[in-house]
Amino acid sequence: MTKDRQVLLSVPAQAEYVDLIRLTLYGIASKMKYSFEEIEDMKVAVSEAVNNAVLHAYGGEDGIIEVSFAVSDEELAITVRDHGVSFAPSANPESAALHGKSIDEIQSGGLGLYLMQALMDRVEVKHDGGTAVILTKKRARSEETA
Amino acid sequence: MLPNKFSLRTENREGRTIVYVGGELDLEVASQMRAAMEPLMELSDRRLTLNLRDLKYIDSTGIGILISVLKARHSRNAPFDVEHVPGHIRKLFDMTGITPFLAAAE
Repeated sequence: MTKDRQVLLSVPAQAEYVDLIRLTLYGIASKMKYSFEEIEDMKVAVSEAVNNAVLHAYGGEDGIIEVSFAVSDEELAITVRDHGVSFAPSANPESAALHGKSIDEIQSGGLGLYLMQALMDRVEVKHDGGTAVILTKKRARSEETA
Repeated sequence: MLPNKFSLRTENREGRTIVYVGGELDLEVASQMRAAMEPLMELSDRRLTLNLRDLKYIDSTGIGILISVLKARHSRNAPFDVEHVPGHIRKLFDMTGITPFLAAAE
């Protein structure tokens, strides 16, 4: 196993920087030869984590979001970290989906975490003086197993 | 500021208002999208259609806006639908379960 390579990005916790993170992700994931669909999946999942940090971490005060992209032969692991107030995720993200609900029951709360879990291979959330969300997508081993 | 810039264009014809949404509908442009949709949601006697042919990106922020529009239209008993949904966006609609609510809800 080769040593992980890391790309680090630090941006103000503001909505106007979320597309910059997506663009960086696109560049890295393209180099790693992920498919269009996999890249689109990761763009949404990473944006959801960043959106949460922008909206909830710093309560309107200035803050920083650090995104690290850890590249290895097996996977891409993206960590989105803030140093603000922990955002408590819903206990059961599955319940956030709209399936089987009536129009009066549906709402958007919790859809972000639900999508992260649906789109990535692994999602970990850590609270340690802020929030770190670690999103992992495995690389296809070969063309045949894709 | 970057490629895939968000765009909105409204077209009125024969009792129908069509909103063309293009580029990336994300957190940065969410308030712009909400502000554009609010007066249109009120027009109960017109069919409201979102055309997503040129939409490149959406996440739960944009899906949340769609949910509020369709709830507002439903409560007014006013027609609302979404057309020309690109494949990778359709996948997100299917995943979240919003798809059945968007199909010609009359």
